[in-house]
Amino acid sequence: MRLVIDGKPISFDEDDNLLVALLKADEHPTGGGCLCMGGDCFHCLATVDGVSYVRTCQVPAKPGMVIDRHPQDGYPQLPLDDTTTVEIHAHNKFCDVVVIGTGESGTAEIVKARSAGKSVISLDTKDGQEAVGIYDGPLVIARTAEGMWHINVKDEIVIATGAAEIHPVAPGSHLNGVMTSRAATQLAQAGVSLGKVVAIGSPPENIEVEQLSGDIIRFEGSTKVEAVVLEDDNGDEKRIACDSVAVGLGFHPRNALYRMGHGLPVRVVGEAALESDIPKCPAAGIVCPCSHVSVDDLNYTWDSGFQEMELVKRSTLAGTGTCQGSVCLPYLRSFLLEKGKELQPSFTARPVTKQLTMGEIAAGAHHHPTMRTALDAEHRALGAQMERSGGWWRPWTYGNKAEEYWAVREGVSIMDVSTLGKMIIQGPDVLPLLERLYPTQVATIKDGRSRYVLLLNERGYIMDDGLICKDSDNQYYLTFTSGGSSHSEMWVRDWAAGWGYNIRMLNVTSTFGAINLTGPLSNKVLEKAGVTEPPKFIRHKMVNIAGVDCRILRLSFTGELSYELHYPVEDSVKLWRALMTIGQEFGIKPHGLETLLTLRLEKGHIIVGQDTDFDTTARRAHHDWMVNLKKEEKFIGRHSVIRTNRIELDKMLVGFEMDGEPPIEGAVVWYKDEYAGYITSTGTSYVLGKAVMMGWLYYFDGELPENVVIDDRPAKRVPTPFYDKEATRARAK
Amino acid sequence: MPELNRLMMTRVVATKEALDTAVFPQNHQTIRIAPDEVLIHPPVADISVDDPYAIIVSDGSFAGVWLSDAESRTLLSHNCEWEPPEKRPSFAQGAVGGIATKIIFEEEQSLFIVPAAMAAEFEERLP
Repeated sequence: MRLVIDGKPISFDEDDNLLVALLKADEHPTGGGCLCMGGDCFHCLATVDGVSYVRTCQVPAKPGMVIDRHPQDGYPQLPLDDTTTVEIHAHNKFCDVVVIGTGESGTAEIVKARSAGKSVISLDTKDGQEAVGIYDGPLVIARTAEGMWHINVKDEIVIATGAAEIHPVAPGSHLNGVMTSRAATQLAQAGVSLGKVVAIGSPPENIEVEQLSGDIIRFEGSTKVEAVVLEDDNGDEKRIACDSVAVGLGFHPRNALYRMGHGLPVRVVGEAALESDIPKCPAAGIVCPCSHVSVDDLNYTWDSGFQEMELVKRSTLAGTGTCQGSVCLPYLRSFLLEKGKELQPSFTARPVTKQLTMGEIAAGAHHHPTMRTALDAEHRALGAQMERSGGWWRPWTYGNKAEEYWAVREGVSIMDVSTLGKMIIQGPDVLPLLERLYPTQVATIKDGRSRYVLLLNERGYIMDDGLICKDSDNQYYLTFTSGGSSHSEMWVRDWAAGWGYNIRMLNVTSTFGAINLTGPLSNKVLEKAGVTEPPKFIRHKMVNIAGVDCRILRLSFTGELSYELHYPVEDSVKLWRALMTIGQEFGIKPHGLETLLTLRLEKGHIIVGQDTDFDTTARRAHHDWMVNLKKEEKFIGRHSVIRTNRIELDKMLVGFEMDGEPPIEGAVVWYKDEYAGYITSTGTSYVLGKAVMMGWLYYFDGELPENVVIDDRPAKRVPTPFYDKEATRARAK
Repeated sequence: MPELNRLMMTRVVATKEALDTAVFPQNHQTIRIAPDEVLIHPPVADISVDDPYAIIVSDGSFAGVWLSDAESRTLLSHNCEWEPPEKRPSFAQGAVGGIATKIIFEEEQSLFIVPAAMAAEFEERLP
């Protein structure tokens, strides 16, 4: 059986783990450093079959494995190819108790919990189940052969992970041939030739060693250890030649999982619960091999005033590296004890304790779902370029924006607007509820009429906009923006419940599809479809088009004669195709979001969330005509509107125009070299032949500047709308 | 791979008391998704609840797919962060792979119901 390290095949025996196999071939994975064989340190890391940071002492050797050493300086290389890797699944599991570690104390806990009728999941690295983190929930994350386990725990997490051996800190501890006492025992049993072994502290078992006494001064050698230098009781140095050094300096608990479980039902048992041995404070050497923190670095940190454990960790980064403090933590404590004469607690641990691949981290995670309208396939079949907008996939363009634009301005066009928020609301208290929600006098809306309305929050800022359509005294149909639909539903529900109103409401955003039929020839299409008496401006009614029952609403966002058709979503394709067929003789074309943004910009119509900000009052946005302060009902935001109306205006949402290409959205507006605002919407107006914009402009000396600079070019403030100021086209008969 | 299909239902919003006392057709699946809301599948042409302000609409906003018990267990193991019921038959609802899902568990199969607008995303999560 052979495996490959850095391109060189080596043989191994059946029960070898990877580290043993490498050492037998005289191939140290990292070149040196104290080995522990416990998965605690970072001295046996390598890239195995493309996965970096693998602890080779924890992985069985398998034929054909490919091992690459990590570079001495820097980080292991990311995979250079983009081949698809196997998806790593999350496995959500549920139990009463998780026991991490199945040694003597862990097994006792498992028996005890099961005897009490608890469901138990046990984890142990020797079984290939490596707990790497504990989160609120509580939730235990473990890496296993079948994927990532996400274990939801009802009662308790028991940590029985034992104790790790303390590594030596002294000059030369990075040499090949230094190992802990337990590691020496295991390596020798596995058949690794250790040569002459000297032991310091607790000796390894079943190995012939020369037992030494004294404090370690340094290890000597070039790459492999050749001798260890100790200081005896008399303060004299003595040098002992050797091939391997086994150090038994005591133990510290493997309790990182416990230390990250603050406030959670986590209990630590067995050796993991014992107090740590505190080694003698080192005089020199590398304390934290992962982050290359030396004793000198610790002294500098102490002298700089960082004298508490958490500060020392943050200042030096000791304990934040690969082994997460498994090597350095006892020495950080001994250093602080020596300096401050007080033993400080271990630092807080944070997930994860071991390196995970991106696939392991991403297991069970999905990108935020983006909704598709029932016409999604139609758009794609027509060659639409799709974009995410307001939580939906929407057609951005069907390929030729100019064609789409002129179809709306001079002919007829349709757009899928199914994404608009829609709500049925009815009940005996619906009118008082709407009066308190909206800053308009809802009671004056007649049956079959609609009104464009703002939704304000308590601070009087614009939160959303849409329509109130009155069907009857107790029954209304509301619309909201696409992106604001869910929040608006929550808003309406919350206030209705809070005020105790007797109403029924249903969010029908996805129950009804919506198509906007727009352009001066829209009436021709409707007429041919059998709708001979379409509603007048800002009115609505029920009609049937091509066998589809539709609520038809007359309004206009594009600035042209427009009708919104709201219909059962399952009839979306049928209605869309019918309109395309009926409209064929009038040159009907679908238009996408890109075109719509230009059309509405020419009309100066705002998009809430794009042109508005979190502090946009109706007054600042020139929409104060939509806020009726004379109405009797105290609507949400009224008090704030009255208050802010007393304050002098500092900025306004205004229109700009300039020659040449439009600047980008977000472009800064300058006035006499001072910041004066920014652009929220921008585009080239086909019909005007210039760049038009909306944006925020600050007052200077009580006046809004007329001539400004945008994108290093002169621009002029102009009133909106830019196009059809009298709105004769939208209100056309 | 299993595909989701649009489910036609009748959707009823009414007072809790009205829904508690309403008699729904026995050969239909009646899913009480909230104290004040019921889904009836397949849709019913005529339904009566004791609430003059009840909202009753024909609804095609959901899509569904039947999965075998093994398929549903795999799907839920990978994507469900809450503990699904073991009892059969039963009903549960919550996020599955980040998508609001209603599940009707039967002995040998389960019906997964999601917003039709997210059907394509849900299919990506199917085993």
